[in-house]
Amino acid sequence: MTFAHIYTGILIIISIVIQGHSSFDVLRIAGVKPDILFIVVIYLAYNFGSFYGEVTGFISGIIHDSVSNSPLGLLTFPKMALGFIAGMFGRSVLKSNIITIILLIFSASIIKGVFVLLLSYIFHQPAISSSLNVILPEAFYNAFLAPSLFFIFDKIYHDELMREGSM
Amino acid sequence: MDFFIRHKTIITFIAFTLFCIISLSIKSSSFTFTIEGIGNAFTVPFQKAYHGMQGGFSKLWKGYTELSGVKKELRATRKRLQKYESLTEEISELKIENRRLRRLLGLKERIQYDSIPAAIISKDPDNWFKTLIIDKGENDGIKVNMPVLAYQGGYKAVVGKIAEVRNSISRIVPIISPEMKLGVMFQETRIPGLLHGLSSTSNLCVIEYVSRSSIIKYGTVVITSGQGGVFPSGLLVGKVLKSDVLKSQAYQRIIIKPALDYSSIEEVFVVKKEPNTDLLNIFEGDK
Repeated sequence: MTFAHIYTGILIIISIVIQGHSSFDVLRIAGVKPDILFIVVIYLAYNFGSFYGEVTGFISGIIHDSVSNSPLGLLTFPKMALGFIAGMFGRSVLKSNIITIILLIFSASIIKGVFVLLLSYIFHQPAISSSLNVILPEAFYNAFLAPSLFFIFDKIYHDELMREGSM
Repeated sequence: MDFFIRHKTIITFIAFTLFCIISLSIKSSSFTFTIEGIGNAFTVPFQKAYHGMQGGFSKLWKGYTELSGVKKELRATRKRLQKYESLTEEISELKIENRRLRRLLGLKERIQYDSIPAAIISKDPDNWFKTLIIDKGENDGIKVNMPVLAYQGGYKAVVGKIAEVRNSISRIVPIISPEMKLGVMFQETRIPGLLHGLSSTSNLCVIEYVSRSSIIKYGTVVITSGQGGVFPSGLLVGKVLKSDVLKSQAYQRIIIKPALDYSSIEEVFVVKKEPNTDLLNIFEGDK
């Protein structure tokens, strides 16, 4: 899994840099942009299991929180928890096809949004107000992009997936 | 040990969950700031490198594509320069007169502030927040709550204020962010109000606490009031888009279109104005 770790590190860095760059604003639809980092986490959890998913979710969440204006943990917990949950519904349970991927990412994005809202209410984060304006459009956007990104990631992790017997 | 290895997934999940809960509970401690600092230090070089590369390519492409329009633009600029040169004397005369009249009326002289130019290297990667990250920080003399301005289309307008400062980068909360609160007034009528961002996904702002009886016209210019202790007064904020007067409410809700297009700002100026801490404590509470 050494190469997988390196690929994962590179993917996390590339995703966070692209997602935070001004030029990425061009991709905004209805005021929201897709969460590529989250799609990476779900992909890894789906293919390599809960442990890999939760660790990747935690590390990428910490980086996301440190770059974003959110308190540490607000974006980390949903990514980590969804990495854990998606790992349980891996390729061994859900057969990989476009509909499965779209449904997986859409439902995971909705749960992620609900987690963020819950945490913000519990820990009194005042900035988060308009829930439906963010959660639903982001879930649709993530689900729309997921099949093509999963296809690219399948190519990147081809050797590791063959070794794991997932392909 | 065997137990931990066998149940590593669930143990790691519980440990990470506890970490997040503790971190969220003590969000203002130096502990969380240190971890965020490490995370930032890890990503900032990549952000700066990407920004530099993208900026270089974009300049190169612009240099090539805009060459044809340069002649036309030069002619137009010369014309505009002639107009402005004739205005300079008039303005300096008005400035002297304004200063004399202010002195006669016993008003305070307007203070001129220095500014620090900075480039936006990143925006908030998440949809819930709307902050901007600039390439200047504590090392360049930037402090929390300093106002940030930008020039666009010949206008100088408010971008936001500094919310967080690290060694070589700072975070700006723009006026379109719902968490930003800014004291404003209408230029013509001088009616004051409190401005904040409309929502996390919109580029518009809202002004609250304007009396229902006030007549606010479409296109009225909104400027900073100087109350709140952060922004100097008289800075351009935006223009009125519409006004909602509800029978059930004592105040009207005014939607503002900011003077700046936030998706295309590349350079900003951080005004070296220290906030009035007494006023700030009153408005934002002791933190």
